[in-house]
Amino acid sequence: MRADAAVPEALRTPPLTDGAVTPASLDEQVLRFPETKPPRKWFLALAFTASLMTVGLALIGYTICTGIGVWGNNRPVFWAFDIINFVFWVGIGHAGTLISAILFLFRKTWRNAIARFAEAMTIFAVMCAGLFPLIHVGRPWLAFWLFPYPNQRALWTNFRSPLLWDVFAVSTYFSVSLMFWYLGLIPDLASMRDRTQSPFRRKIYTVLSLGWRGAASHWSHYEKAYLLLAGLATGLVLSVHSVVSFDFAVSLVPGWHMTIFPPYFVAGAIFAGFAMVVIVLVVVRETMNLKNLITDFHLEVMNKVILGMSCLMAYSYLMEGFTAWYSMNPYLHHVFRQYVGGTYGWAGLLTICCNVLIPQILWFRRARRSYFWMIFVSVAVTVGMWFERFVIIVISLHQDYLPSSWHVYKPTLVDFGILFGSLGLFFTLVLVFARVLPVIATTEVKMVLPGAQPGRHGAP
Amino acid sequence: MTGGERMVTAETAAEPGGKAFAVLGLFETAEDILAAAQGLRDKGLGRLEAYTPYPVHGLDAALGHRRSPLAGMVLVMGFIGAVSAFLFQMWATGIDYPIVVGGKAPMAWQAFIPILFEVMVLFATFTAGLGMLLLMNRLPFYGHPILSSASIGKITRDRFALSLEAYGGAFDAREARAALEEAGATEVEILPAPEPSGPWSANYLLKGFFAVGAACLVAGYATYWAVKLFPVLPPMVHMEDQPKLDPQEPSALFRDGRGMQSPPSGTVARGFLPYSPAAPEEAAGLANPLPRTEPVLDRGQKAYRTHCAVCHGVLGDGVPTLTASYGAKPANLQARAIRELSDGKIYDAIVRGKNAMPSYAPHLSVEDRWSVVHYVRVLQRAQNATDEDLERGGRP
Repeated sequence: MRADAAVPEALRTPPLTDGAVTPASLDEQVLRFPETKPPRKWFLALAFTASLMTVGLALIGYTICTGIGVWGNNRPVFWAFDIINFVFWVGIGHAGTLISAILFLFRKTWRNAIARFAEAMTIFAVMCAGLFPLIHVGRPWLAFWLFPYPNQRALWTNFRSPLLWDVFAVSTYFSVSLMFWYLGLIPDLASMRDRTQSPFRRKIYTVLSLGWRGAASHWSHYEKAYLLLAGLATGLVLSVHSVVSFDFAVSLVPGWHMTIFPPYFVAGAIFAGFAMVVIVLVVVRETMNLKNLITDFHLEVMNKVILGMSCLMAYSYLMEGFTAWYSMNPYLHHVFRQYVGGTYGWAGLLTICCNVLIPQILWFRRARRSYFWMIFVSVAVTVGMWFERFVIIVISLHQDYLPSSWHVYKPTLVDFGILFGSLGLFFTLVLVFARVLPVIATTEVKMVLPGAQPGRHGAP
Repeated sequence: MTGGERMVTAETAAEPGGKAFAVLGLFETAEDILAAAQGLRDKGLGRLEAYTPYPVHGLDAALGHRRSPLAGMVLVMGFIGAVSAFLFQMWATGIDYPIVVGGKAPMAWQAFIPILFEVMVLFATFTAGLGMLLLMNRLPFYGHPILSSASIGKITRDRFALSLEAYGGAFDAREARAALEEAGATEVEILPAPEPSGPWSANYLLKGFFAVGAACLVAGYATYWAVKLFPVLPPMVHMEDQPKLDPQEPSALFRDGRGMQSPPSGTVARGFLPYSPAAPEEAAGLANPLPRTEPVLDRGQKAYRTHCAVCHGVLGDGVPTLTASYGAKPANLQARAIRELSDGKIYDAIVRGKNAMPSYAPHLSVEDRWSVVHYVRVLQRAQNATDEDLERGGRP
């Protein structure tokens, strides 16, 4: 460690908290939420998201009872909103794992304050994502056929299919994320168990915290396990969206059959995920008075990541276009012309505008620190990333090799209803989480408070 | 755990020979506890353990903890996961039921890599997480005395505790208390040993049996009804009940009220030309249009054995393969009269039927019939071979 004095001002890590925060005040501030009655605003927000969710679930029920003919999918656009939403949500989940695992490996201590929320968002996003493959199979009650279990038909699943790789990747991702999140929660739940005054809640927290007692020998295994999990989750998070991209790249559809897809998808996922984390964090720090823990510095760093990812996306788009041009493949040329012209040309232009042009505002420090621009950019990125998947999936499919089978795709109201229903589900889960579990990993923040570690005064 | 039924109180536990489990000293800062731990470690007053709200760097070394073996376990389990996933895919796709899909080879090992990776990560992460919880830390465990101590709330908030615990060996609670106070503990608490209550006590067993039994009952009934109702409830039956006409169904769509419509009059089915000879005599002049080649004879043999052999016998000698209760007398195809019939006559018998034999025209296509005629000739020659045939070794 270099002494702080030797480091120029711009490179110094600013304090991770505003004002004096002690472990006791931190607990008082964060762990009181589950104990207090939520304000009216929270109930209003919950009512809104839950009604969205209900509409979505009702439409899913309608789809299952009637068949997926109620969606706009047609030949040749067999995949449309269902897969777009799936990729969109899985992508949003990736930011959480990136924050909790990759930044942990890089010893970026600013992640400690936001990791819990980001991980929770990962789990909720993957839940929303998993919904879509489930309902798009048409007979979701037979979805267990996706897993290789011994059966009377003596058939195994097709292990050479990217769709099966996807099943394994997403289910692994979900179970690992869930475990990672829960392990992080255990010490915090133990704190809540010992704080709470209500016997009923204490019972719940006692059971959930598994009798955690903070023994030093336990901590040493815990830290080792956390480090290992972070390393493994890093590999996992990079693999999951690569596998999702294989769904397209392994096929022969022009516009899909490209080697750039895995890194391109991973970059896009982190991009979209960070935007969603920023949106949620801004709301949370404002409504829950956590400004001293989730500081302007946190948001600024997040915005820098979004800006960097936006430049990476610009590079990906350029490379994709260059690859298509350089291939001298007339089919590919045609599809890429469709991306920015033709029936859906507006979607391609909107994607470039939202993902490349608008985030450039973040070069200005004022924009990185202003709520208005932050939210504006994040919403733009969310919309842009959704449309990027729309461009890749629908435009590539609707005009493939055979002009005789070209067909324009029009989504139906049911499609839109289920999309907004999934957003409702996601935000409902986020709202409920914010009120029943510690939204900030208090244990991890305590570790990096000034003076928390012996022989190291000041922030690491 | 409640401390309600403790036989020993903190006071009696502190007596020499009393039943103290541990003496707990609280410290204010991480630095204090680190210094105290280094001082107390070598005194041998009992097992030294620290309880902290978060991991304190350097405490492991001070307490002399060995390095966590998790990394090795994770490596081994990850390897097992990867290998077993790969071998299973190879076996299922390449050996147990090889199906060619999308032109990929059954043993396309490259295609097994993604799932190999995912299963490897799955095994490794669950080894890291659950191995840490269950194996290394022996959690969940709700009965540790520290959980019912007065200090636990402070420990999980912001205070640091050092405890000297009686694990085997001699343990003097008063000595331990003195040592901790000397090391700078602000508060000292003596934890009495809890009453032993194993998982085999009658109370636990009864509750366990009841819980398991109830769970089995609920799960069994739920499964039974799910399996029973699953195939007959909408929307599960939508694939079976399709809005289409099944054979023999009535339908209001057509004038005659039938779902199945007869073909228009004069329709000729594929491979069935109208049969021109009006009488068997006219058929005598028909010549067999098929060559006498091996594929034709094979086809004739197959058709003969399928349709004719049950009555006329495998050798064509008129001995049916049916039981004696079968009353009809099928013709002996080896009889001289039939051997001398022209091909056309035999063909006619197949088409029109003869006596009790019905027409076989619907069952045999034109080519099949002529192949059968060829094959009947082969049977006749085989049963009535001449010396000449023997010399030629059966070749024509």
